[in-house]
Amino acid sequence: MNKLKLNYTSLSFLPILVCIPLGYQLITNLHFGGFKLFLEFLISAFNPKIDNEIIIAVINRLNETILIGFFSWIVSIIFGAIFGILSSNIFYKIFNIPNFFYNIIRLFLTIIRSIHEVVWGILLMQIYGINFSIGIIAICIPYIAVNSKVFAEQLETIDYKNFESINQLNAPKFSALLTLIWNPIINTFKNFGLYRLECSIRSTVILGLFGIGGIGTSIFLSFQTLNFRELWTYLWSLAILIILSGLIFKKIKFNHTNKILSIFFITVFFITILLSFSYFLYFVFNNNFENFNSVSFLFRSSLDLGLFDFLKIIWETIILSLLSTGIAISFPPLVILIFNNNTSKSLIKIFAFLLRLIPTPIILLTLLTFNNPSLSLAALTLGLHNAGITSKLLFTNLDSQDKRNYIAMKSLGISKKTSWLLGLFSQQAKSYLAYCAYRSDIIIRETAIVGVIGSVGLGWQLQESLSSFALQEVTIVLIAYCSIAIVGELINGKIKNSLT
Amino acid sequence: MKNTVLELKNISYKYENNLILNKVNLKINSGEKIALLGKSGSGKTTLISVLNGTIKPTHGEVKIFNKSYEELDRKQKCKITTIWQDLRLIKDLSAEQNVNCGLLAENNLYFAFKNLLNISSFKKAHKYMQLCRLHNSIYDKKIRKLSGGQKQRVAIARSLIQESNILLADEPFNNLDPKLIATIKSLLLENVDKNNTKYPKTALVALHRLDLLKDFDKVMGIRDGKIFFDIKRTNLRKFHLDKIY
Repeated sequence: MNKLKLNYTSLSFLPILVCIPLGYQLITNLHFGGFKLFLEFLISAFNPKIDNEIIIAVINRLNETILIGFFSWIVSIIFGAIFGILSSNIFYKIFNIPNFFYNIIRLFLTIIRSIHEVVWGILLMQIYGINFSIGIIAICIPYIAVNSKVFAEQLETIDYKNFESINQLNAPKFSALLTLIWNPIINTFKNFGLYRLECSIRSTVILGLFGIGGIGTSIFLSFQTLNFRELWTYLWSLAILIILSGLIFKKIKFNHTNKILSIFFITVFFITILLSFSYFLYFVFNNNFENFNSVSFLFRSSLDLGLFDFLKIIWETIILSLLSTGIAISFPPLVILIFNNNTSKSLIKIFAFLLRLIPTPIILLTLLTFNNPSLSLAALTLGLHNAGITSKLLFTNLDSQDKRNYIAMKSLGISKKTSWLLGLFSQQAKSYLAYCAYRSDIIIRETAIVGVIGSVGLGWQLQESLSSFALQEVTIVLIAYCSIAIVGELINGKIKNSLT
Repeated sequence: MKNTVLELKNISYKYENNLILNKVNLKINSGEKIALLGKSGSGKTTLISVLNGTIKPTHGEVKIFNKSYEELDRKQKCKITTIWQDLRLIKDLSAEQNVNCGLLAENNLYFAFKNLLNISSFKKAHKYMQLCRLHNSIYDKKIRKLSGGQKQRVAIARSLIQESNILLADEPFNNLDPKLIATIKSLLLENVDKNNTKYPKTALVALHRLDLLKDFDKVMGIRDGKIFFDIKRTNLRKFHLDKIY
C-alpha cells in the first residue's frame, strides 16, 4: 500500500479534515426558520436601495470611515516605523544598549499586538464612552505594534557586514543608523504601507459595527432592522471605496529619489508625530473618564467565573482558531482545483472579494438565519472571511508565476487539474503555507470578533464581563486572550521560519 | 626614529574552536607600505579585522597610536580606513551615496539626510570617484546594478574620501583590469599630492598577486594564522614564498 507522503502541496490540502467535525455540528444545527430572510438578503444584493436620502447618508458615513481609517493608518504607520526601529537588533547594536531592553520592548509590543482592535475599542468605550477619537486610538494601538513587527523584520535583514563597515567608518551613531535603515524602511513602506490603509478601513468598518461610527454602524443598524436593501447599498459603496483606493494606489508610484516628494514625506512624518502627541495629551487631560471610576474598582469587582468554565472558553477559543485556520488554508486551493476553468476562477474571485468585503459579524449573523449559534458556525465564518484573504494572495502569486511547467505538463496529455496541482500550485505551496502561518496569528486575534457575536470563546466572555462591569473578569479574560495569541505567534513564527 | 602606528602583541583569535590567528606579533611604522601575502584562509582578513577594531582578539593586545582601540577618540579612529575584500557597500544606496558614507564621520546627521535624499551636490565625492575612473553616468546607480570592477572602485573611492593616514586593504585590486590596477595602486600607495588630494601614508595591503609587490616597502607572509616572515621587499626570495604557499 502506498503511504501518504507529506509535502508542502499535501499540507496545504490536509487541513480540509476540519470539515468533518465542523460539517457534523453544522448539519445537526441546521434550521430553516430564517431561510426566507437569507433569500431576501441575497436578492437585495442585486437590488440595493438608491435614493437621495441614502446617497447623502452613504457619503457622510464613508467620510467618517475614510477619516478614521486614514488618520489611524498614518499615525500607526509612522509610529510603527519608529517602534520597528526601537525593536530591531540593529538599533541596539549601534547604540550598544543591552539586549534586555530589546526583549522588554518586543514583549511589550507582542502583548499590545495580541489584543484585537475591537477589544481595544470595546475597552476604551467603557472608559471614555463613545467618541470619534476612540476609533482612531483603538485601531492605532494594535496597528502600531503590528506595523512595528513588519518594519523590525525588514530591519533584521540588514547585512551585519554593512553594520561592521559603517561602524568602521566611525560615523556618528544617528547618522549610521539612518544610513543603514533608510532603504529597508522606505521599501517596507512602499510594499506594505498602502496595504495597511485598506486594513485600517476594514477595521474602521468592524469597529463601526460596535458603535464607533462610520459606515460600519450604518451597516449594523440596517442589518438589525432587517433593511437588507439599505445594507447592500452600504456594502457596495464600501466595495467601490476599496476598489477605487486599490486602483489609486496602483497608479501611485512612490519615488523616494524625488527630492520634493521626499521632503514632503519627511514634513508629513514630523507633523504627524507632533500632532499625535499634542492630540494624545489633549485627549488624556480633557476627558472626564465617564465610566471609569477608579482603578481600585478593578480589584473590588466580583469574579464569578469558575475555573472549569474559564478553561472551557479558553479551549473553545483554541479550537475556534484551529478550525478557522484549517478552512482559511485549505479552501482556496481546493476550490480552485475543483473548479479549474476561467469562468469559475472569475466567480471564485468575486466570491472571495465579497467574503473580504462583508465584515465577519455580518457574515455570521447572515449564517445564523439557517444555523443555530455554535462554535462551528463561528469557525466557518472566520475561516471563510480569511479564506477570502488567502485566496487573493494565492491568485496574485499564481497569476504572476512562470507557467512553463504547467503548459509542458498539459502538452504531455496530463489533465488540467493535475497539471495545475503539480505544475503551478506545487511551486507556490511553500510560500502559501508561510503566509497562512502569518494569517493564523491574525485569526487567533479575530476570534474575539466572532466570539462576541457567536456566543463562543473568550470574545463572548469579554463582552459579558464588560456588560456586567466585572472588571476583574475582564482582566483575567484579557490575560488569557493575550497568552493564547502570544503562544500562537511563537508557534507560527517557528513554522514560518522553517518555511522561509 | 619612526613612530609605530599599529602594533599587535601576541594576538590570538579563536572562532568556533578554530585558531584563526596564532600568537601574531606585528609592528607597523608610520609611512610603511606593507604587502601581506598568504593563501586563502590563512588569516589575512581576520588580521585586518583585528587591526581595524572590528573583531576583538581572544588573546593579546592591539595598540593603535600606542593606545588600545577603546581608548581612541573618534578623530583618531578616523585616521584608519579599510577596504574590505567583500567591499561591504550598502547595496540599496547609489554609488555616490556609498562614497559619501566615507564622510559621515566628519559630518552631522543633516549630512546623512542630505546624502540619502540626494539634495545637495557632493563635489568631494565626485572628485574621488573621478580619480577612481568612475564615470558620472553611474553616480546615481544602485550598487546592485554595478559591475564587479565598478563596485571595487566605489569601495576604493569611499575609502579615499576619508583622507585617512592609514590604509588597511584586503585584496583591493580584485576585479580591476591591469590599466586600472596601475591607476588605483598609485592612488592608494603613492603620496602624490596633486590637486590637494591626501593619500594614505601607511598601508597594509593583503595581496595574492606577486607582480603587484613593487611600490611596497615590506612583505609579510602569513600561514595558518602565523606570521612566517616580515622582511624588506627587496629581500623576498622563493623559499619565503614556499613557506606560505
